[in-house]
Amino acid sequence: MPDTTGIHAEGGVQLLQGLAIFALAAFLMAFVVLVFGKLFRPRNPNPDKGAAYECGEAPVGPGWVQFNLRFYVVALIFLVFDVEIALFYPWAVVFGGGGAPNAGWEALHAMRAAALWDMLFFFGVIVVGFLYLWRFGYLDWVRSLGARTDEPAPTTAPIRTETVAPPLAEIIAES
Amino acid sequence: MTDPTIKRIETVLRKPAVIFGAGAAILLLVTALLALAFPLYKPLLSSQFSFSMIVLAVMLVLILSATALCILFERKIAGFTQDRYGPNRVGFWGLLQPVADGLKFLLKEDIIPRHVDKPLFLLAPALALAASLLGFAIIPWAGQVRWPWMPPDAPPLSTQVANLNVGFLYLLAVGSLSVYGVVLAGYASNNKYAFYGGMRAAAQMISYELPLGLGLLVVLLVSGTLQLDQIVQQQAATGVWNIFLHPIAFFLVLVSALAEANRAPFDLPEAEQELVGGYHTEYSAMKFAMFFLGEYAHMITSSALIVALFFGGWHFWGLPGPENVTWWAMLIKLAVYLTKVALFIALFMLVRWTLPRFRFDQLMRVAWQSLVPIGVALLAATAALTYLGWQRNVWASLAANLLLLAVLLRSAARSKRPVTARQEDLPEIDVRPTT
Repeated sequence: MPDTTGIHAEGGVQLLQGLAIFALAAFLMAFVVLVFGKLFRPRNPNPDKGAAYECGEAPVGPGWVQFNLRFYVVALIFLVFDVEIALFYPWAVVFGGGGAPNAGWEALHAMRAAALWDMLFFFGVIVVGFLYLWRFGYLDWVRSLGARTDEPAPTTAPIRTETVAPPLAEIIAES
Repeated sequence: MTDPTIKRIETVLRKPAVIFGAGAAILLLVTALLALAFPLYKPLLSSQFSFSMIVLAVMLVLILSATALCILFERKIAGFTQDRYGPNRVGFWGLLQPVADGLKFLLKEDIIPRHVDKPLFLLAPALALAASLLGFAIIPWAGQVRWPWMPPDAPPLSTQVANLNVGFLYLLAVGSLSVYGVVLAGYASNNKYAFYGGMRAAAQMISYELPLGLGLLVVLLVSGTLQLDQIVQQQAATGVWNIFLHPIAFFLVLVSALAEANRAPFDLPEAEQELVGGYHTEYSAMKFAMFFLGEYAHMITSSALIVALFFGGWHFWGLPGPENVTWWAMLIKLAVYLTKVALFIALFMLVRWTLPRFRFDQLMRVAWQSLVPIGVALLAATAALTYLGWQRNVWASLAANLLLLAVLLRSAARSKRPVTARQEDLPEIDVRPTT
């Protein structure tokens, strides 16, 4: 396998410089194209062109409307899980890489066992949380309670059993 | 220009000899110029930093022209799938269609509606394009190379923009950035369709980041390094691609990559039938084009990543391996890599024109209730294999994968939940014999 250490000996700073230049080039490319087009584009503003597109109708209210709360729940669940998965990366590199190459087989075995069981415990904690979310329906996009039961949904409004004495009617009857 | 003149130009451009002749001439001209200017840039080729910058420039130009060609290719594949010709008016076989499209995007009026959040409205397309391009920095295009004029003991140069030792993490971080372009576009447009498209995109992209991360973790356990060029070299050294070890992980990453790129069957953020155009409803001209370029660039990045992780990157059996660092071996490796990437792009396109779109609750269910549990189980299995020291053993990995597949199929068969929308709509069929 060819030697790759020479690349890193050259310094991480150059690496970061390269990345920074790449990022700059990518953004510049995007902006240059936009500015370049400005020289050729026609510009005929018109109140109808400036209106928000709503299939030809006059737009009703602003575009920033209320949205389904489920989006928020998904973002919250994602945040927890993504942070936890990010914790797995350093572990996976060390565990998959075999750990300390100079250690004896016995020590290596003990270390591997410790790494595996510790991570499996952590993993178990995540899975318990995940099962909780699943059990209580936080992973279902449509959370309607009616769909869960076997009974058919009531088709008519329940009939009122208690009699409500309408005060107004009484007053009219008494007078 | 008069009408007959345009007609004559059109007829000339539709001749294959003209198109291919012009292409060959341009290629020859560029090669001649490069050969003539060789003494000028020869010293630049020898240092890793300047070589990386050259790779950067070449790749940026190549990728942007490739995205333009991709759009033609996609329309051709759409035509093939739907039994029609696809674009065939501009130039022979429609080969000049990207040029015509580019000109049109450049020359059209760029409408900015009155009530948008202007800074964010301008930033969003640039972010969408730039974030997709950033991922290319760590793709190991052609392994390593040592030029003939370099001393034989000099360390070979790597054909990467940046050989980061946290390559994976960088890719994930940059991949997450691409959510911003779409969400900002949806938010800034002040349009209900765009807003809903943006919200959908946000939920979809973050949901599918989890299976993607789990699939990548499995590869990470197998290879034990975050550097992409090391992962490719491992596969090349043993000749066993990671796809043979972990087909299920590959499937997870493939599906997540489709969803991350907002490609069908996961193109709900821009579902034309429901949301007009989704997050790019209010965009026109060049800004609209940048969303498209960003989508295609994202697709190429994902393909390049999948090829590096699962399909051995530039390695192919019988072709020059990692120990061959001559310049002609580099060219062969580059050609192999690009071929694999092109095949993957073709697969992405075929999928788009073959499968119908998911419904949103199905989309979320696929991510959270099937892909994430599969990923978790696969990760646990791979961790156990790694503990036994069998993580690079093909048979052990395959057996684990098959076992997992069997469990999955069994639980899917026993599950009472409907799989397709049609099953949901139909009443449950009573299969018991009537007595």
